[in-house]
Amino acid sequence: MRKIFLGIFCFFILPSSAQAAVTGEIVGQGGQRFPIAVSPLKNLGVNTGESGRLSTGIADAMVHDLELSGWFKVIDRSAYIESAQGSGITLGSFDFKDWSTIGAEGLVKGGFSVQGDEITVELRLFDVYQNKERIGKRYTGRVRDFRRIAHKFVDEIINQFTGIPGVFNTRIAYVSTSGGRFKEIYVSHLDGSEKFQVTDNHTINLSPDWSPDGRSILYSSFKDRNQTLYLFELFSGKEIRFTPGAGGRYLSGRVSPDGQSIVATLESSGNTNLYLLDRSGKLIRQLTQDTGIEVSPAWSPDGKQIVYVSDRSGSPQLYILDLASGKSRRLTYSGSYNTSPEWSPRGDRIVYTGRVGGRFAIFTIAVDGGDPRRLTAESFDSEDPTWSPDGRFIAFSSNRAGRYHLYVMQAGGDNQRRLTGSGGDDTKPNWSPRLD
Amino acid sequence: MNSFFRIACYNVLSIIFAFTLAACASSATPEPDSKAGSSASPGSPGADGRAGEGARGGAKESDTGTSSLKQLQEGKSPVTPASSPMKDIYFGFDRYDLSADARTILRSNADWLKNNSSARVEIEGHCDDRGTNEYNLALGAKRAQAAREYLTTLGVAAARLSTISYGEEIPVCKEATESCWSQNRRARFVILQGRPTS
Repeated sequence: MRKIFLGIFCFFILPSSAQAAVTGEIVGQGGQRFPIAVSPLKNLGVNTGESGRLSTGIADAMVHDLELSGWFKVIDRSAYIESAQGSGITLGSFDFKDWSTIGAEGLVKGGFSVQGDEITVELRLFDVYQNKERIGKRYTGRVRDFRRIAHKFVDEIINQFTGIPGVFNTRIAYVSTSGGRFKEIYVSHLDGSEKFQVTDNHTINLSPDWSPDGRSILYSSFKDRNQTLYLFELFSGKEIRFTPGAGGRYLSGRVSPDGQSIVATLESSGNTNLYLLDRSGKLIRQLTQDTGIEVSPAWSPDGKQIVYVSDRSGSPQLYILDLASGKSRRLTYSGSYNTSPEWSPRGDRIVYTGRVGGRFAIFTIAVDGGDPRRLTAESFDSEDPTWSPDGRFIAFSSNRAGRYHLYVMQAGGDNQRRLTGSGGDDTKPNWSPRLD
Repeated sequence: MNSFFRIACYNVLSIIFAFTLAACASSATPEPDSKAGSSASPGSPGADGRAGEGARGGAKESDTGTSSLKQLQEGKSPVTPASSPMKDIYFGFDRYDLSADARTILRSNADWLKNNSSARVEIEGHCDDRGTNEYNLALGAKRAQAAREYLTTLGVAAARLSTISYGEEIPVCKEATESCWSQNRRARFVILQGRPTS
């Protein structure tokens, strides 16, 4: 069976590192971006053919993440005065003026050394105005996973600035036709690196959903002709097939926040309803009993409620089911087509796809049904939103550049940036939990 | 000046002097040897006894007897050939009620089924690509079921009719125009067995 490597790096906090406790968001919507410079890394070991690639590659990965966050303005490398290989990476071994002159208020410097297929990377964040070091970390890992070290350090930088770690050491599962006419499921980092093909069965595979431990992907597939659900373990390559009762088909499913149960959409005789299953796919109980369409369930972060789509009013609208009482209440009233909801990890808002002016856009709405906000423009389609594990970002798919690609934006809609550019259509992103 | 650091510095700095914090959990890296899709699953091996399942091993397939999924796998267009005795029916956007035209076609399809009493048919529900995949899978199931129910009211035995939804996944065309979308909002009738020999 195919397996994935989600390795853990050793890391050490370097001596003399300082951590600031900051709470709350420092930059909000439309806020000024913090000017930061990211120096290529200094090679501290023996020069090899790939030293140059690693020196800039680790820096490039950090630049990508910092730009994607929307909170930083990364100063272009062509403006840097000092030589990365000629100057030091510790306090006192370089001149802060070289960085203040070009407008940098923050500075990331680092070094690396390679031994065999192992890389050790030291990274430091400096405050150019205060002439101080803020973070210093040393990481060890496999050379080919060097980008993951960069992602982990950016998560630290974001923690320094906002009091909450970043979400760049995460992955996105999605559906892509990049391999041809079939829809297969892939996972990759946000920068497209470490791409892993989960399915390769030359049929239609849909609706990937991460288990909360980041170890499994639940998805639906037509690979056994009749559509049903499969739970695929990334580490072991093991897979469980969910077999619905006679005449039924599972269209999609979502793993509960505690990882112990699954809410699935089951179609039978043309009707779709929601069902609660255990992790092995065994039926626990039916959750909705309706003759219409009930699809796209998503859990509240506390696992007590489920937001889903029903057409019982005559058009697809969002409803919230309270599991204890079994009662549903309608959430959306504006628009004639509201689908694919996902509940914010913070619990306060729900993101969904709504149809407006013949196009699809991403909206969020408060859990009590108030304050609906449209986050994407009407001149193209944006669909399939998914929250980052910290609730500060939303990934989605959009055809604004022709084919469908994955995009990410801040939860308020700012800083919309494209993530993928495969030759096919990339759709149905599902953001992983934080990974080790 | 707008320094984040300045804001940070006004807060209490907790200086951490730590040399080791985390132990290194080095993971072995087994190389993948197969993908999820190509393996037999350890769960039930998929014998759920549905009418549709029989088509895989049993019936020979021709243009009118090939599921859209198989057409996709073989790189063929899922368009129903003009020679098929069972014609497609079409639906409005986000609708699964039967139009007068659809009922006329279904009456003709029912006549053929009555004259070919050994024929079994799988009704495929399809959608245009607007809207979400999951909702469209459910909508396609509604469309297939609407066709099935009307055929049974016309006297075709329900046991001869199975349904499947492909949602928006197997379109006959891909242009973002109403004329293409309307061709994709369809129910298609795949003859599983008992086709005429002509």
